[in-house]
Amino acid sequence: MSSAQLFYAINLLVYAGVDIIACLGLSQQFGVAGVTNFGFIIFQAAGAYTAAALSLPASSANGGFQSYLGGWNLPWPIPWIAAAAAGGLVALPFAFLVGRRLRGDFAAVGLLVTAVMANLLVTNYRPLLNGSAGLSLVPAPLQGEYDPQGQGYQWLYAAGTLVLAAAAFWLVRRVTESPYGRSLRAMRDNDMVADALGKNLLALRAAMLVLGGALAGLSGAILVGFINLWAPSAWGYAETIVLFAAVIIGGAGNHRGAVLGAILVPVGFEEATRYIPPFGPPGLVEDLQWVAIGLLIVVFLWFRPQGILPERRRLTGGADGATGRLVTRSAPSTAGSADGGVMLRTADLTRDFGGVRAVAGVSIEVRRGTLTGLIGPNGAGKSTLLALLAGTLPASAGQVVYAGTDVTALPAYRRARLGLVRTFQLASEFKRLTVMENLLSAVPAHRGDSLTGALRGRRYWRADEEAATARARALLERFGLSRYADTYAGDLSGGQRRLTEIMRALMTEPSLLLLDEPMAGVHPRLAREIGGQLLGLCAEGMTILMVEHELAIMDEFCDPVIVMAEGTVLASGTMATLRARTDVVEAYLAG
Amino acid sequence: MSLFLASAGFGLVTAAVLAIAAVGFTMQFAVTDVLNLAYGAVMIASAFVAYAVNQAGASVWLGALAAVAAGSAGSVLLNLGIYTPFRRRGSAPVTMVIVSLGMTLIIEFGLQAIVGGTSVSYTMGQGPTLKAGGLVLTAVQLVIIGLSVVVMGAVHALLRYSKLGKAMRATAANRSLARACGVRTDRIVTLTWALTGALCGLAGTVFAMNNGSFGATSADLFLVVILAAVFLGGPGQAYGAMAGAVIVGLATEISAAYLTPSYKDVVAFGVLLVVMAARPGGVLGAVA
Repeated sequence: MSSAQLFYAINLLVYAGVDIIACLGLSQQFGVAGVTNFGFIIFQAAGAYTAAALSLPASSANGGFQSYLGGWNLPWPIPWIAAAAAGGLVALPFAFLVGRRLRGDFAAVGLLVTAVMANLLVTNYRPLLNGSAGLSLVPAPLQGEYDPQGQGYQWLYAAGTLVLAAAAFWLVRRVTESPYGRSLRAMRDNDMVADALGKNLLALRAAMLVLGGALAGLSGAILVGFINLWAPSAWGYAETIVLFAAVIIGGAGNHRGAVLGAILVPVGFEEATRYIPPFGPPGLVEDLQWVAIGLLIVVFLWFRPQGILPERRRLTGGADGATGRLVTRSAPSTAGSADGGVMLRTADLTRDFGGVRAVAGVSIEVRRGTLTGLIGPNGAGKSTLLALLAGTLPASAGQVVYAGTDVTALPAYRRARLGLVRTFQLASEFKRLTVMENLLSAVPAHRGDSLTGALRGRRYWRADEEAATARARALLERFGLSRYADTYAGDLSGGQRRLTEIMRALMTEPSLLLLDEPMAGVHPRLAREIGGQLLGLCAEGMTILMVEHELAIMDEFCDPVIVMAEGTVLASGTMATLRARTDVVEAYLAG
Repeated sequence: MSLFLASAGFGLVTAAVLAIAAVGFTMQFAVTDVLNLAYGAVMIASAFVAYAVNQAGASVWLGALAAVAAGSAGSVLLNLGIYTPFRRRGSAPVTMVIVSLGMTLIIEFGLQAIVGGTSVSYTMGQGPTLKAGGLVLTAVQLVIIGLSVVVMGAVHALLRYSKLGKAMRATAANRSLARACGVRTDRIVTLTWALTGALCGLAGTVFAMNNGSFGATSADLFLVVILAAVFLGGPGQAYGAMAGAVIVGLATEISAAYLTPSYKDVVAFGVLLVVMAARPGGVLGAVA
């Protein structure tokens, strides 16, 4: 190899390492947590600028032809560490965009325009970071002690970059292959349901923004330390799309796929075009390169949306018939004394949608240990009431008191953590999680279900995982779904999905379970079986409020039953007494 | 005061261009639920169709007609060829946005590969300059404002009084329910893309006229301004987009007069982020 070829090889290795680190950060955000960060490149830029500003000497000492902030001439590795920190910190404020109930595509567009604008600002405002000319003569790490042009230094730089890429891989893998990673994937598949199961979406998404941002910042620092310059043209908004293309083509949700994508797209694809003999007017090859990136994205999303290396299925191994208790949570202590056996009470609960009052001043009580039914014609406000009780929707007026505590102002995930858990009328399984993972995702207070817990490793949370798995196996056995443990929930039949959802809700160890038509689309025989199971759970101390259309089910299992019509409570009592009331029969039973 | 009035004049022209663009964008979103980020690219591609006609020796206004036709046909193709198949497959909204971003690259840089990277201008006279009470506008700028007012009136009449407009509103509100009520939703969606594509083509041409010179990537920043107007008015709300266009158009140009012109789009960006953070359903939507 000539020295020019050698230099080129080193270049490729460094670029590969930088792109791998960036793609791993994006893969963690987009592929694992479902945060579509169209502004990803901002955070790489933040890292690169931070590293540059900290390692550059004061601007006058550097010839005075550039103007920039910083210029503190700090020794390596401080600029790199600060770059990673800056990438993470700059990302944090965007949590307000992705963490709120803003549609994922709206948030993505918000981040995209932020990237466009950040570039515009840095380009036009020269005092900040030398404007469109950018920063040059950025010192290489330790360039006082060693010669950055020397071959030994260059090899070490490439090797160091690859070591950091490996470390980044280890980090994102450890986070993803943990109970915390399972929560992230659950949020990605269905965030509203994850919320209802006690996942704090804002905290999860903020953590992913920061983690991905830190990796992006580090990649920027490595790059600027190698090429010694950084300018707005290096981080146009479209560069993010190249990274997205890499992650989508490699396989979103699979970190090996991100590595492969980084090697194929930003490195392989862009380098390959160097070998095409130049043709046409200047700029044509670059234009066609962008067209090709666009085509790659659209074609892959159509023909192979899972990427070259799809996310792999997490298997739990065969069932070993372990048994565990279904209900372990002790009932909240304040409940029995303060509210005399009343588990849930609402006062004048109201919800308006525009001009429509879907729930109009509902006051009900649900007593401990009962299987309370909730019936009413379509549009009576049953599902809306359930959403208000669980906190999926905020109330327009009124009060929800659960176990003696006013929870009206609490978000859904906080109520779920108190043991007030709901299921949904529409299918709400986490499609790309197995049935077992769906169940495990709901386990409360799992040691591995936090970022720090995940980082401490399997040994720290193994005991919790084993206990939870045993409990999940017992549930699967009880509901007869043991052999589907390792099946993707998205591949189940309608009835099996309902069962999975009920089991998942039970995994949270609820004190009060809100079920929205759990038997819809389920075979009648199975429906009666479920009813029996629910009665058994109530006998063990659980309280259940169930919306159901099938009156035979109400007759057989529910007592008392609440009847709703047009947003208000019409009556409540046993089915026998309700059948005797003409207004109830007219409103619902006859119709 | 004269600075204010002069910039308000520019603001009115920008608002006129923006209103045409934003109404088209928001109506596409209303019926298809796709934030079509390739909208700006289609705008500029249409502007180049007008340029080709103009270069062939015809009037730029004839070119504008060709741009309207091209924008309409291009948008229908984009929807039928790309978005509808993805939507039929049940792709998530986020996937659709990624697809639309991919289409942006394809259209924009495909166009640049054809027309080259340099900016061009229409061959046209600006007409006499008219002054009225401090406002200074060229005849062309007045025509743009007039065109925009006529287009807004037509959109209003369409949505309010025509059967097609009612069907469009029904499809936007709830597609499956509309279909159940006998609305041929697929046809309505295609017609909507044809109409909004026409608005997109017109917007591209008047944007290019108002800009003076334009290149294949000129609409990148303007898309941010369109998004600001759309989100301010509430995504999917045609009347909201009109009001949003007036506010954002005036705000960007008036602030440009007092700040540096290179930062004028930052105002639109600020509006967009604040609205997204505080009222993602739009500020004007409920009122309009």
